[in-house]
Amino acid sequence: MLKMHNLSKIYRTDEVETIALNNVNIEINSGEFVAIMGPSGCGKSTLLNIIGMLDNPSEGDYLFFDENVARYSEAKLANIRKRHIGFIFQSFNLIDELTVAENIELALLYHDIAASERRDRVAAVMDKVGIAHRAKHMPSQLSGGQQQRVAVARAVVGNQSMILADEPTGNLDSAHGQEVMEMLQGLNEEGTTIVMVTHSPAHADYARRTINLFDGQVVTENLRAA
Amino acid sequence: MFSNYVSVALRNLVKNKLYSAINIIGLAIGLAACILITLFVRDELSYDQFWTKADRLYRLNTTFSIPGREPFVTVVSPGPSKGALERFFAQEIDKVVRLQSLTPVIEIGNALYTDEMIFADPTASDVLDFDVVAGDMKAVLTDNASIALSEKMAHKYFGDQPAVGKVMTITNYNLKRDYRVAAVFRDLPHNTVLAIEMVAMIDENDWHDQAFLFDSWFSVNNTVLFTLKPGVDISSVTSRFDAFADNSIEMPAELTGGKGASAFVQFGTTKLVDAQLHPAGLGEMKPTGNIATVIIFASIAGLILVIACINFMNLATAKSTQRAREVALRKVLGAGRGQLIVQFIGESVLIALIGLVAGIVIVEAALPFYGEFIGRDLSFDYTDGMTLAILAGLVATVGVVGGVYPAIILSGFRPAWVLKANKSAETSGSAALRSGLVIFQFAVSIALIVGTSGVYGQLKYATTMDPGYTKDNMFVLHRINRKGAEERRDALKAEIQRLPGVVSATFSGDTPGSSDENNTSVEIPGQENTGTILIGVQDVDHDFFKTYQIPIIAGRDYDRQYAGDSEPSVEGLKEGDVVNSNIIVNESVLNRLGFGTPEEALGKVFMIGRGNGVKNALTIVGVVPDVHFQSLKTVKRPEMYALDADNYGNLTVRFTGDPKALVSGVENIWRSLVTGVPISYEFVDEALAEEFDQEEATATMLALFAGLAVFVACLGLYGLAAFTAERRTKEIGIRKVMGATVTDIVRLLLWQFSKPVIIANLIAWPVAVWGMLSWLENFPYRMEAWVLGPLCLIAGLIALGIAWATVGGNAAQVARANPIKALRYE
Repeated sequence: MLKMHNLSKIYRTDEVETIALNNVNIEINSGEFVAIMGPSGCGKSTLLNIIGMLDNPSEGDYLFFDENVARYSEAKLANIRKRHIGFIFQSFNLIDELTVAENIELALLYHDIAASERRDRVAAVMDKVGIAHRAKHMPSQLSGGQQQRVAVARAVVGNQSMILADEPTGNLDSAHGQEVMEMLQGLNEEGTTIVMVTHSPAHADYARRTINLFDGQVVTENLRAA
Repeated sequence: MFSNYVSVALRNLVKNKLYSAINIIGLAIGLAACILITLFVRDELSYDQFWTKADRLYRLNTTFSIPGREPFVTVVSPGPSKGALERFFAQEIDKVVRLQSLTPVIEIGNALYTDEMIFADPTASDVLDFDVVAGDMKAVLTDNASIALSEKMAHKYFGDQPAVGKVMTITNYNLKRDYRVAAVFRDLPHNTVLAIEMVAMIDENDWHDQAFLFDSWFSVNNTVLFTLKPGVDISSVTSRFDAFADNSIEMPAELTGGKGASAFVQFGTTKLVDAQLHPAGLGEMKPTGNIATVIIFASIAGLILVIACINFMNLATAKSTQRAREVALRKVLGAGRGQLIVQFIGESVLIALIGLVAGIVIVEAALPFYGEFIGRDLSFDYTDGMTLAILAGLVATVGVVGGVYPAIILSGFRPAWVLKANKSAETSGSAALRSGLVIFQFAVSIALIVGTSGVYGQLKYATTMDPGYTKDNMFVLHRINRKGAEERRDALKAEIQRLPGVVSATFSGDTPGSSDENNTSVEIPGQENTGTILIGVQDVDHDFFKTYQIPIIAGRDYDRQYAGDSEPSVEGLKEGDVVNSNIIVNESVLNRLGFGTPEEALGKVFMIGRGNGVKNALTIVGVVPDVHFQSLKTVKRPEMYALDADNYGNLTVRFTGDPKALVSGVENIWRSLVTGVPISYEFVDEALAEEFDQEEATATMLALFAGLAVFVACLGLYGLAAFTAERRTKEIGIRKVMGATVTDIVRLLLWQFSKPVIIANLIAWPVAVWGMLSWLENFPYRMEAWVLGPLCLIAGLIALGIAWATVGGNAAQVARANPIKALRYE
């Protein structure tokens, strides 16, 4: 599905040059569940941003479905992104002024989808993650676990083939964390590719493969027996 | 503690440069507008307050109610009213003075001038105060060959030499006399409705040939002022004006049908201090203001200031989250809510103070232009207690009004929550209030734009209105009835007609735009006792309709080949004799006299008096449409066009080609034929446009202040957009991650700020339309009301466009930002 070849990301300011990613080579296939681990500042989030096309690499190639997107413009990336990739964040990132249903609908709003179909798909995905009874509530009225379920629903409502999750359980207690992990696992079993950054070895265990980063480089790749 | 407040306030101002600049610029403009308008308003209110007897000084107004016509309302009065007032109101009225303004030809040595002079009764120095710097005013007012000059006129005529004792030869009508300058008085201040530059005594014996000046109840041209005796209430005079008219004015019974004179002539009075702002009618010595204009501009000044205050409130609450932490820490350290409120109000007073200083700079820079524009020498006096009190009041009001709401919001933050959550403490209430205030700002701005364009629209309508004749390429030569010109007038006309480019020329009594009224009473043979019918008279010659290009809709034009097309001689005739001649009338005359259609009216006869009981039977030979020969601000009247060679004061010339060549040709002819009369001329289209100078000035001032209001409102909107975008960065980030493009985001932000503007339109339109319709009532001929519809729409689009331009740049910048930062680091 995606392939990174000698990919680097360098942040430059006037005086300092920070190498966030250094010659990274990664390949992720469709249907995989991959965890990315590593200490703070090792480049996990930068890698996830580049995978999610929120950022361009400084050097190297990034092939997404055999298309090299490394030098694409923001508008082009946005177009690919909205069709293929869903995001889940540690801090949920729901819009406070919109209801649960409207937050989920947001992911369909920028596609050419009729209002009635949007309603149907939002209803279906809310059923699936178990928050249909909260459809008209505002995010501030929900618990953290419920908010993250809304975020998961938003990530998949557009039938995205890949979900990028940035520490999805970081702001949740263990019970809610596990609930979200099980949800992600379920989605993976239905065929969604999942790439997840996490600090939790336990949650990394849900993944088939773990990539360990250190100082911007891939140090080990562990494969878990199915 | 105080120095801590001040330093925090100043650091905040420096740190938030955009916020500070918007507040200070907005307040400076609002305060400057307020100060400028206050100067104007105070000046308007100060008119004629300086006379010693201002508290009991009144002016007599006269209204003629002519059946079938709009009442003819004037602020001038008939000459005999002075004596009649003194007799009838002997108990109430102290002194009466007439001021008769004439424009004579003045000769001093070889120099010729034409300037206005005032003939006044000896009581002038009792009623008014003249600050005499040389000579003796009393002597002037008791000697019919003396004259008093203002310092300005003394300087104009005699330079730096002492004027007293100098001789001026002055010609009024056929009275040519040497006047000795016997007094010089200080120029009257500009804030008076009276224009008095030269004063001579009224000696009625000098004016027997001009009975209309001082001896006719049916001719109004004197400004009549009177003072009440101390302690007398004006109502004891006004309540008896009808009795006064009935008692004083003799009207022939066949004219009144048995009614008293008060049915036709009504008197009224205006306290002189009210004359500037409450104009009662025609005949003012100089253009007056009016109270409506004062109220409108005072309101606009207030509104601009309110708009600036709203900016202050909106920005302060919008960025309150930035200061939540400071509030929380101060509370943790023991500050009470009251102390915090005092601190924040203090800050807004400080900003208002800085705004005031900037505003005063703007005022000082603008004052010369502003003064020139409104035609007054205004100054801003810092030592005046009233001025200082107003300034202090403004700062306190702005500071407290603008500061109190943000102060209450900010001081209400709960420290634990702010410090722990470290996030937006924004309540939905304050966001709703902000939208409401933005709506208000834009409603005011839009209403002002509609008002301004409406005033311009009416101006355009009035100045391009078809007066019924072709007003372009016409030139009017005045003063041809002055001694020295009158003897040569036929030669003058003949010579001018020979100039290249001259199409035709005609004599007339009045010229377009004049508000002079000349009416005569008319009888229809066989219906003598049905009461008075008064018809307006224009004195013209045979070439009048041809020159003015007024079409004849029935019958024929005047023609010298018909003996009846001339003024009949009444010499040697006695009471009861009748002379015959022909007349051309306008359509309204037919309606008034019941003469049917223009064709039916031809050949019909009506009678007018010719003096000494001689009557003139006039046969209608032609009918013309009603035209606006009088002021465009008055209603068209029934009018006959009489061939009366005694009253030709003007020569109108229709020409083609270069006006400059015509003017120099006419000037040459005048110089060669006329002695002792300076030339005076104007172009008809310009004279008509001049009538609307005041409306034009109002429109310009409205445009200026409307522009300022819009500008200040946009400043606020810009600031608000900046802060809102800042607050919405997370939302924008999420939307971008979800696939929103830059265009989507810009559209989102623009729509957010379009909503209040659109709602503002819905509020502003009805208010503006109502206001404009009331204003248009002032004009008998006005633009069509439906024009206001498109004007509203255009004003709305302008406001929306300006709002978009204001918000758009910021929105685009925010929309282009990379979403990652907003989402990761909250």
